[in-house]
Amino acid sequence: MRARTMLPRAGMVALSLAALAACEESLPPPVVAPPPPPPTASVAQAVDPVGAKPALPAPQPFEPPAPVVFKAGNGMTVWLLERHALPMVSVTLSIPYGSASDPRGKAGLAHITADMLDEGAGPRDAVQLSTSINDLGASLSTGAGLDGSSVSLVVLKKNFRPALDIFSDVVARPRFDAGEYKRVSALWRNELHKRAQDPGAVSRVVMGAALYGPDSPYGHPSSGLVSTAGKIDLPAVKAFYAAHYRPDQATLVVAGDVTRAELTPMLAEALGAWKTPARAAEPTPEARPQAAPPRLVLVDRPDAPQSVLAVVRNGVTAADPRAPLLDLVNTALGGSFTSRLNQDLREEHGWSYGAGSRFAETRGTGGFIAFAQVVTEATGPALQAMLGDLDKMATAGITLEELDKVKAQDRADLVQTYETVGSTSRRLGTLAMLGLPPGFDASASRARQRAGKGELDALAAAVSPKGAIIVVVGPAATVTPQLASAGLGKPELWDPEGNPKK
Amino acid sequence: MRTGRFAAAILAVSVSFTLPALPARPALAADVKVDIPFTKTTLPNGLTLILHEDHTLPMVAVNSLVKVGSHFEEPGRTGFAHLFEHLMFMGTARVPTKMFDGWMEAEGGSNNAWTSEDRTDYFDLGPAHALPLLLWLEADRFSSLGKEMTQAKLDAQRDVVRNERRQTSENRPYGKVELRLPELLYPAPHPYHHPVIGSHEDLQRATVDDVKAFFARWYVPNNASLVVAGDLDPVKVKAEVERLFGWIPRAEVPPAVAVAAPHLAGIVRETMVDNVKLPKIIMAWHSPAHFAPGDAELDLAGVILQEGKASRLYKALVYDHPIAQEVHAEQRSQELGSYFAIEAIAQPGVTLDKLEAAIDAEVQKLVAAPPSAEEVKRAQNQFETAFVARLQSVHERASLLNQYQQAVGDPGFADKDLARYRAATPTALHAIVKQTLLPGARVILRVTPKDAAPEPSAKAAKPGKGAK
Repeated sequence: MRARTMLPRAGMVALSLAALAACEESLPPPVVAPPPPPPTASVAQAVDPVGAKPALPAPQPFEPPAPVVFKAGNGMTVWLLERHALPMVSVTLSIPYGSASDPRGKAGLAHITADMLDEGAGPRDAVQLSTSINDLGASLSTGAGLDGSSVSLVVLKKNFRPALDIFSDVVARPRFDAGEYKRVSALWRNELHKRAQDPGAVSRVVMGAALYGPDSPYGHPSSGLVSTAGKIDLPAVKAFYAAHYRPDQATLVVAGDVTRAELTPMLAEALGAWKTPARAAEPTPEARPQAAPPRLVLVDRPDAPQSVLAVVRNGVTAADPRAPLLDLVNTALGGSFTSRLNQDLREEHGWSYGAGSRFAETRGTGGFIAFAQVVTEATGPALQAMLGDLDKMATAGITLEELDKVKAQDRADLVQTYETVGSTSRRLGTLAMLGLPPGFDASASRARQRAGKGELDALAAAVSPKGAIIVVVGPAATVTPQLASAGLGKPELWDPEGNPKK
Repeated sequence: MRTGRFAAAILAVSVSFTLPALPARPALAADVKVDIPFTKTTLPNGLTLILHEDHTLPMVAVNSLVKVGSHFEEPGRTGFAHLFEHLMFMGTARVPTKMFDGWMEAEGGSNNAWTSEDRTDYFDLGPAHALPLLLWLEADRFSSLGKEMTQAKLDAQRDVVRNERRQTSENRPYGKVELRLPELLYPAPHPYHHPVIGSHEDLQRATVDDVKAFFARWYVPNNASLVVAGDLDPVKVKAEVERLFGWIPRAEVPPAVAVAAPHLAGIVRETMVDNVKLPKIIMAWHSPAHFAPGDAELDLAGVILQEGKASRLYKALVYDHPIAQEVHAEQRSQELGSYFAIEAIAQPGVTLDKLEAAIDAEVQKLVAAPPSAEEVKRAQNQFETAFVARLQSVHERASLLNQYQQAVGDPGFADKDLARYRAATPTALHAIVKQTLLPGARVILRVTPKDAAPEPSAKAAKPGKGAK
């Protein structure tokens, strides 16, 4: 919400690949590619200085570095991955309680609790804390997702020690001041009202509500709902913190220019006083899609030049042994530029700036989502094409050529995920939050590299559009007749907060 | 603004200003050095080749920067440089349509590109073993794209680009601001007058002949620079680049057209209506070009105004008083001249008149007296970390080497760039703020909710050119 972590436009800002990867709606990908024809005779025969497509050597094997795992004195688990190439350290503390742990009627409690952590902590009030972090050239951020909450710090090594003290105050000694809460809560509620004008955000809210239903732990957005945000008070925030931020459930990921010998005494001093309470930890909630979801949902956005399309269905849990292999199927379907969905909706038809799909990586049963923003006039045809692409993959599986490609992409992804200190610490923090082991990505990649076409084809039914939910955010007047002509029937009208309209 | 091939990249532009001579800076004691080792050569055909060797991971990055952007476009062809960028992926006789991406991804490689007012950048990232393929694909399109252009290729990407415009501007809250602001800030015929994405009408007008002519004029080796970085053998790569690119003929590039410095004689006001709940105000002032004296100081001023709870604007408008929902202030550096922008969204019930007055009060304080040494130091420390953080990925290092090459002729300028920020003083910062943030020479653009009655002071709305 507020811009707290800053990336100054320092001289020149390069387009970060990590940012691209995070921006899944714009991250596109094929149609069944025809076999590449050989260079035309005229080019090949004349002395062509560029020559023919080069033959390549075999790729080099890569094993991502594994963090050292140990317990701190207070019972907190620590994952340390040393990287000494640059004088930087990145720290992420993860707890496995996020918006899925929001109590009934208090959607967004995990979110606003995380938001309040740095509004004054330890010896510093909110302004002093912000100023001290900026004085150190550090960035500190807090947040909550479906399955967990986290606090992150990035700082130069020379300032690591004082920054770790502030980070530890935020984790272990937040003040939860009433005056700060009044301000933070008002900004939060305004932000939720603003969400209704952002069609991509509306689509995500409605997808979750339609897939899981209003009473499921995953049925509301982690940022909360307009209808209940005003009912969340500071005592509820303090109670959520006391119950869920506890060292026995926390994992601290440290990546960068620091050794275990340096780190251990620092953690004892900065976080040693943070103790696990006597009462038992709350279990993490179970979540699964609802039994009878709606089929076709439309949120009216009058006069919009594009429709936001989503086809949503149940997926798998992150720990499911099928999950790594389904990722391969998904890469071919909608996980890269040359994937079938992007090639069809963007490159073949020009209906969209990009189309894609993904399996959500969640502790409970996740969703599978195919998505695109398409020019309004093509809403019906684009949806039909999308459903056709999903059905074809579900029934006919992937091609051998695609299999080779997605395995190559898997190998490259494994190297890139662990390239920077920041991306490494974020990824390991996510694994900890999901309850997955630190070596998960390496073993998942090994499983993918072993996969055969038969086994993937058998799993591909997981992307079938049969029984899936279609969510459209676009102008009802233009879109409704197109949905009818596409044979999709009459949509249910929902509001931007994920409720059926009366 | 820069417009990417498929990322919704709404990033401040920051490319390139060629300085004939760099002002000497005092050497500064600094315990962090920002250094990217490289070698640089120029091929006989004028292509600049920069190599950066790093065997930490089995990865390579290829970055090709072309000295062309939307400010080089012909009248009636707005958006063409960016449309052309999309066409660079559409294939040749050697690489059939779809196979640039197809062959690259088959080896685990990936790519993207962006276009700004001043430059067009193409980049690939891939496993080290795929480097010969990446270089071959780049040599193919940089030598042969134009003559093999077809109407079908053009039509396909024209539709994609028009959808990019809809997705990143027209269907996004406050997104039409970036289409209108340049028109108000840079009166025609200034080359920054139109947005990078261009108008639907002009995109429709583009022809295959335009594509061929644009390629022949700008996509020549002496108007480009190539960086190859990562897990590579520099001797082998240099020989490979010489073989693949060395034969491409150089060609005279049109000389830079002299552009008169834009000038605002007064306050240029406009109000536009958008599908939003909370109104927004955008102020913009002309400011020194990228790397010109004052540019780094204004970057620091942006941080002093907006970053953290103690920053001037955040403290006054968000923390102490519930006036703004969010506020941003930054120098947006460009080759021909930059602009400094302040943007704020009002909290419910707050009028834009009140918001404008609150911003003006804080800006006037910074105009009236220098910032404190602590504020400047705090901003400098944030830049120092950002400079180090940028060195983490091989893609970013390749990109930095290339952008510094084209901006100042020195790929290794990163540490000198950081020195600009380290050398800034409260006095210097105050001087440039006083000279730039003039109350009577700026654009003030307001965005009001379409369902609300107009505020008394708002003028009639005028739709942005090309917005449909």
